[in-house]
Amino acid sequence: MTPVIALSLFGIINLFLGFTFKRQSLQVVTLLFIICSMALTAMDWNHEYLWFGDMMKTNNLSINFSLIIQLAGLLVVAFSNGFGKDEVYTQPAEYYAILLFSLVGALLMVSFQNLIMLFVGLEILSVAMYVLTGSDKRNLRSNEAALKYFLMGSFATGFLLFGIALVYGSTRSLYISGILYNLSHTAPESLPSFLYAGIILMGIGLLFKISAAPFHFWTPDVYEGAPTIFTMFMSTVVKTAGFAAIYHILDVTFGGFQKNWIITVYFITIITLILGNISAAYQQSAKRMLAFSSISHAGYMLLTVCANQPSTSSNILYYSLAYTLATAVSFAVLMVVAEYQTGRTEKPENFDALNGLAKNNPSLAFAFTVALLSLAGIPLTAGFWGKFFVFTDMFNKNLTYPIIIAVLMSAVGIYYYFKGIISVYFNSGEIEKIETSFLFKIALWSACIGTLVLGIYPTLLKSIF
Amino acid sequence: METKTDRFMQSIPEIIRTIPLTHYILLSSALFAIGVLGVLTRRNALIVFMAIELMLNAVNLLLAAFSSYFSDPAGQIFVFFIMAVAAAEVAVGLAIIVMIYRNIQTIDIGLLNKLRN
Amino acid sequence: MIESFGYVLAFLVAGTGFMALVLTLARFIRPNRPNDEKLSTYESGEAPVGNANVRFNPRFYLYALLFVLFEIELILLFPWAVVFGDKQLAAASENWKHFALFEMLIFIGILGLGLAYAWVKGYLEWEKPNIQAEDFKSPVPPKAYEKFN
Repeated sequence: MTPVIALSLFGIINLFLGFTFKRQSLQVVTLLFIICSMALTAMDWNHEYLWFGDMMKTNNLSINFSLIIQLAGLLVVAFSNGFGKDEVYTQPAEYYAILLFSLVGALLMVSFQNLIMLFVGLEILSVAMYVLTGSDKRNLRSNEAALKYFLMGSFATGFLLFGIALVYGSTRSLYISGILYNLSHTAPESLPSFLYAGIILMGIGLLFKISAAPFHFWTPDVYEGAPTIFTMFMSTVVKTAGFAAIYHILDVTFGGFQKNWIITVYFITIITLILGNISAAYQQSAKRMLAFSSISHAGYMLLTVCANQPSTSSNILYYSLAYTLATAVSFAVLMVVAEYQTGRTEKPENFDALNGLAKNNPSLAFAFTVALLSLAGIPLTAGFWGKFFVFTDMFNKNLTYPIIIAVLMSAVGIYYYFKGIISVYFNSGEIEKIETSFLFKIALWSACIGTLVLGIYPTLLKSIF
Repeated sequence: METKTDRFMQSIPEIIRTIPLTHYILLSSALFAIGVLGVLTRRNALIVFMAIELMLNAVNLLLAAFSSYFSDPAGQIFVFFIMAVAAAEVAVGLAIIVMIYRNIQTIDIGLLNKLRN
Repeated sequence: MIESFGYVLAFLVAGTGFMALVLTLARFIRPNRPNDEKLSTYESGEAPVGNANVRFNPRFYLYALLFVLFEIELILLFPWAVVFGDKQLAAASENWKHFALFEMLIFIGILGLGLAYAWVKGYLEWEKPNIQAEDFKSPVPPKAYEKFN
């Protein structure tokens, strides 16, 4: 409860601090704010309670999700570097404030007990992201990405709302507990048939947000057009919060109706895996490749939602954490390299722009490699264990064919992630030493070390989750 | 104490209930489908935007109908929330459309294809 | 069920028929002497200038935005007012009124902060167009114009 209030207040404070503070100090202040709210989140550990008129619920699962989301926010703020040096067009105080506000939305999405709060949280998160996507006002690509994201996002919200309305109509409650109670006290035959349409529509609305195929078509364009720092935020925070909500809706609330949605979600999962991985292999632009890779990772995480085992929530947590750390690092390295290459090469976000990074920037190259290895799921990195736990879940449920597809697709994944590693280490190119700030270095190294530690001792966090 | 207006207000749910629930569901599904079609077929960003609003209002209608059928205010409160959030979306969406218009002097979404290649 | 729509049809037919009848009747008995003044859009004497399809200055956008914000805030005040005015709830607890009022003040306070932010940022200032002095140097001295004006 406290972190939500605290983050909203911090956001407002941040808006007003922008009048007096410089961008470097704003960054530090924002970092302190997020650390403070992480501490407030952690203080609720092992205290399960309802708040805001029973509309929200804090338990260890929601605390874990909140911590991962805030960690992602922390990394993004640390990598942000005051959003470049353009004094006229960037407004760091507003960007930081909007980041904090969207974190509030994400926190609501992981701890909702009432469908109203799911909707409100989702919208707080999305509306903030529409603004940030279009924040590069003079750049036509950013404009286009913002419009696409906005139109597709509100379209998806429409589906989610129609689903909520139908579920409300058939269960007579907006509270998760009320829905569960009414579902368990009504004979399945007497439930109206539009309940099932409602469940599917809600699922579609949420799957749009986490960019599962065939609702993924906006993702590559939006990820590519948005400023890289906000792409990083989008692919980590929005995805984690979206999965928390999907898990809560499909598995916790409508787990009893699994036979009604499972076929659809299976179909979506398999299409997501195939489309995401195959398209990623064709990309010339590293940023676009990472966008497709985020689609394919949504596929892996959906597999564990399909399995719906007791360990599903902890698997989603582990996968989200591994994915968050690796994606943040890879986008961060891509961002500084693209910044350096702007004006020097035609397409600063292509793989070619990374050529020869290792020669003068060994630390950036190493971090990038660790991140890509983790995304590819190579052992000794966190990504491997994330995939391993997901596959174990599937195996326990005797879902052999999806596992075969998933394993094949991770083999395809290895191909395109290694494309990045090859251009960093083996291709020749001229990149001078890139100067990065102190906070950037700390964030980069801690995320890297986190990936490796989680890869070597997966039980370290698995026991908490 | 109870005035005529009060009695009228209290009879509104009954008036709403004289039309079967199925009709409300069909009507708002039809409105929703029109909205979806509008989003998928129109090329002008503003019209797409209006189609999305139509989808949201179909949901509002459905929620209000359910709410008075069940005599449960939660659905109507949800409608308030949807309205408020839709207004916030409108503000941001119009800002994005104005920004695009300033740059390319059109709001035809078919012309936005810089990112495709 | 469907036959009750017969009334609607009857109304439609009756309404259209009545309008047609009245308008035709009026056409026969009224004098018909149009002139320019009568045919103008505003008979009050306001002369319409230009096309109705003018573009509004985007400067209005911010004001419209702030208006929408406070208008929507009003919607959320309605359910609050219902609960706030409930006599049973007020009787049940002594502090109820203060608590509810305080909550609403927080809600409005946050919106007020937003307005204050826009104010301090200078978004409420009406941007006057910057009229540039013409660099055209007329050979006719300005004094010469004063004779005629």
